[in-house]
Amino acid sequence: MTGFVDLHVIPRVDDKQSCQRMAELLHLAGYSAVALALPTGLLRDRVTSLGRLFEDVGIGTVSRVDLTANSRSDLLKLLRRFRTLYDVVAVKCANQVVASVACRDRRVDLIYFDPANPKVRFGHQLASMLRGAVEFNVISTFLGETRKEIFSRVAKEAAVAREHGSKIVLSSGCWSPVAVRSPLQISAIGASIGLSREQCAQGVREVPLSIIQRNQERRSRLFVEEGVKIVTLKQR
Amino acid sequence: MRKRYLLVKAICERPLSLQLFEAALISSVRGLFGDFGLARIDPKIVRFDASSLEAVIACNGERAEDLQAAIGLISDTAQSKMGALTLRVSGTIKGLSRKEHF
Repeated sequence: MTGFVDLHVIPRVDDKQSCQRMAELLHLAGYSAVALALPTGLLRDRVTSLGRLFEDVGIGTVSRVDLTANSRSDLLKLLRRFRTLYDVVAVKCANQVVASVACRDRRVDLIYFDPANPKVRFGHQLASMLRGAVEFNVISTFLGETRKEIFSRVAKEAAVAREHGSKIVLSSGCWSPVAVRSPLQISAIGASIGLSREQCAQGVREVPLSIIQRNQERRSRLFVEEGVKIVTLKQR
Repeated sequence: MRKRYLLVKAICERPLSLQLFEAALISSVRGLFGDFGLARIDPKIVRFDASSLEAVIACNGERAEDLQAAIGLISDTAQSKMGALTLRVSGTIKGLSRKEHF
């Protein structure tokens, strides 16, 4: 897998036409892979057929789950249940406690924040604990009527991430064909909120790719544990 | 001042006119960077094809990234929801047709 990756695409599972159009536009925009955030209860057949829609136009897909919890124990329970089932695990931080657990837990690939939620924000303390990456969903956050408070908040979070050299993923969070944007645009919006050019370029390519590759390796049957894998299989 | 040219594809459910597209573009640039930013970016629609919904936009070369961000945040016209994809960026109009993706 190479090229640009959008780690947060939310297709409308009940609208096949919309999914088809999204897939075509994502391909036109230059993406080579996307992470599909699908409802956790969706039947496996539906997931496969949705994935095939994207793969038919030349886009690789991986599965993603967005976890939301209100307490530490809820989050740990959800991680135990879903970590092995999905390629990418993201946590939407609803409060400071959940955010600090998500930052420290190595099973979490991405954390992201709701810019409209004043209870929690990505500050220096979280940035210093972060083991995964912080995600900015630039399209779903800024599209439409946005207030200056949201811009200012996201810019502050970007400044913290820049200062600590945190891993950053720039995603669209697109939910319909009209919200699809090219990696150039996503990267440009990242630069306009104050991220460095290097972080923006890595946020749409290297960082998401490394997350996908690491997790695919972890989920392969040759993987034993961190740093240990089966190199050759004995023929029986 | 060196110019940059952007090939942009509009995504819109209804037919789109040049006036509507231009209004949406200017409003997005002004919303993000203000009047001063609009003057510095200086976006101009050079070509617009209403059938394929593709446009070529010229801008100040040093501000091409700002224009891309503003195009990315176009969300609607006066009549319907709309998005816009930047497909290519080049220093010449001819280069837009010649270049491969990015």
